[in-house]
Amino acid sequence: MNEMVAVLGLATAILALGLWFLLPRGAAAGRAIGALLAAVALGILASRIPGVGHLPAEIVFYILAGVTLLSALATIAFRKPVYSAIWFGLSLLGTGGLMLFGGAQFLGVATVVVYAGAILVTFLFVLMLAQPEGQAPYDQLSWAPRLAALTGALLVGTLTLVVVSVFENPDVALRPEAPFNAAELDENILSDEHMAHLGAELFSKHLLAVEVAGTLLLAALVGTVAIVAQIRQPEHGGSSHG
Amino acid sequence: MDIDWTALMAPLIVPLVKILVLIFALLTAAAYLVLLERWMAAWIQDRRGPNRVGIPLTKLHMFGLGQPLADGLKFIFKEEYTPSHVDKALFILAPISILAAAIAVFAVVPFGYVLPLDLPGMDGQPIELIVAPGLDVGMIYVFALSSIAVYGVILGGWASNNKYGFLGGLRSSAQLIAYEIPLALGILGVILATGSLRLDRSILEQANSVVWNVLVQPLGFSVFLVAAFAEAARLPFDLPECEQELIGGYHTEYSGMKLLLFLIAEFLHMVVASFLIVILFLGGWHFWGMTVPAEAAVTWPEALLRVAVLLVKVLLVITFFMVVRWSWPRFRFDQLMSLAWKVMLPLGLVNLVAVAAVYEYSAALGAPGEGLWRGVAIGWGVALVAWIAAAVLAPLHTDNRPRLEAMNPPQFEPEDGLRGQPQAR
Repeated sequence: MNEMVAVLGLATAILALGLWFLLPRGAAAGRAIGALLAAVALGILASRIPGVGHLPAEIVFYILAGVTLLSALATIAFRKPVYSAIWFGLSLLGTGGLMLFGGAQFLGVATVVVYAGAILVTFLFVLMLAQPEGQAPYDQLSWAPRLAALTGALLVGTLTLVVVSVFENPDVALRPEAPFNAAELDENILSDEHMAHLGAELFSKHLLAVEVAGTLLLAALVGTVAIVAQIRQPEHGGSSHG
Repeated sequence: MDIDWTALMAPLIVPLVKILVLIFALLTAAAYLVLLERWMAAWIQDRRGPNRVGIPLTKLHMFGLGQPLADGLKFIFKEEYTPSHVDKALFILAPISILAAAIAVFAVVPFGYVLPLDLPGMDGQPIELIVAPGLDVGMIYVFALSSIAVYGVILGGWASNNKYGFLGGLRSSAQLIAYEIPLALGILGVILATGSLRLDRSILEQANSVVWNVLVQPLGFSVFLVAAFAEAARLPFDLPECEQELIGGYHTEYSGMKLLLFLIAEFLHMVVASFLIVILFLGGWHFWGMTVPAEAAVTWPEALLRVAVLLVKVLLVITFFMVVRWSWPRFRFDQLMSLAWKVMLPLGLVNLVAVAAVYEYSAALGAPGEGLWRGVAIGWGVALVAWIAAAVLAPLHTDNRPRLEAMNPPQFEPEDGLRGQPQAR
């Protein structure tokens, strides 16, 4: 256990250093070193996580996870905001793929629809409309590279520690009670009627939450329209003088 | 270690074969559909069309069937020109992403029912003619990938670093995003009727009830059809092709193979739209008297007949797309947007509410068979009323006459400064 904590701590430290080198800090030096360090650290962390046990499944999983992680690193490492947004989109696709891989079909596809299809497209619109002629220098820099690298590395390290200790010590206090047994899993998430179950659950047990969330979004929509209408009014007045 | 390789590999090989067949068929079909489109154009415009290219070095013309090959070769041998002012990586990424998304949609689109093929390692299960048979979120997956296609448009326009391309990209992506809403509303009615998001379930439901969704939900069908035309960027919604205003829209700067990728992707959007129209509303592989009973164990002739029925229907819808192309002038951008938000969106909502009401009170409508026919009557009644209401109340979105208020602005009245103003449009 102690040896594992030491290894994970070392990997976390390497990861923090690699992230710091990777982040755009103004100087271009050392980014290759940063990528190398981050890759080594992620490799050490990944080697501690036990495999799934089924070879084709494991290959698919590691490809998806690798794409997700590398594009997440590229998201924070790239200087141009548009490139960061594209890498972020790829990372989201990878996340969606991982969720599909785990059997959570709706979550996987909804992630792509909501994040990649709606939110990120809005980001892209804003980035492209706001900066038609080159980027501002403050958009090309990481704002608190030391703190950001440290926080990110610590988060990844801690999560890995939790996962690994759950797998390695079956009786450790960290291991949560299994929320589902296999039969229940087959009946719910992995069933053929995945979506029908989800819909029934949402619109019976969680009906109030769904309605409240829908009303909230509607209120936001009405508010947006009101704000836009207010902005347009002075334009009318302005044109009357001109 | 004793590994049962057939059991391990069969679930891998079967989808791979399906994917290969599908991609090969799609790309070939795209090439020959271009030929069909040019034939249709020639027929409508009363000329001969491409009919010369046959087997090279012989006098065999074969009705011009060699034309797609010649077109492809020409595209390949064109100079692969990348302008120096573009953002290279994104410039290359844009056509790849849009084509990849267009092909990936077909993972959930069934192209038949099942093949009664008894392969080792498949436990005697017949082969389902769909690449990802178990995916229970088929229709959301279609939406996810059509929203990925927007990336290709935006990136292509932006990376070109050309104002025409950029404006074209913004315009096309706004069009794609706006028409996703009526598209979704049209699909929602079918989802309510089917009770599942799987496209193959939708066909099975229609085959079992022998009433196609277009008969029950004519309003939903028309909303979906219009939105599908807009999503596929076909006339009257083909703003990317607006040569007069924006030269070539978002692919102004593209040439050679990269342009070809864009064009194939646009064509595949039309093909997938036709598949969706047929599967969701026109009964898929079902045809009265030919494919009954729906869920019985199918033999080879029946399986092939179902594939043929589906493909013939899809081909007819594609032909319809092509005839419309030469029958309808292009919308202006404001007409396109007001059609989406002021006509199609309310009509879609009306359809959704009507379908929900019919299925909620289906028990009160009578016995299953009889109730369905009453549902059909209600569906057509709602469609008629909604259509008349839209015709009376909706803005004149197809009115191309000059706007009188724009030509003769109201006179300025000094004593009432605001009211006498010309509308700031």
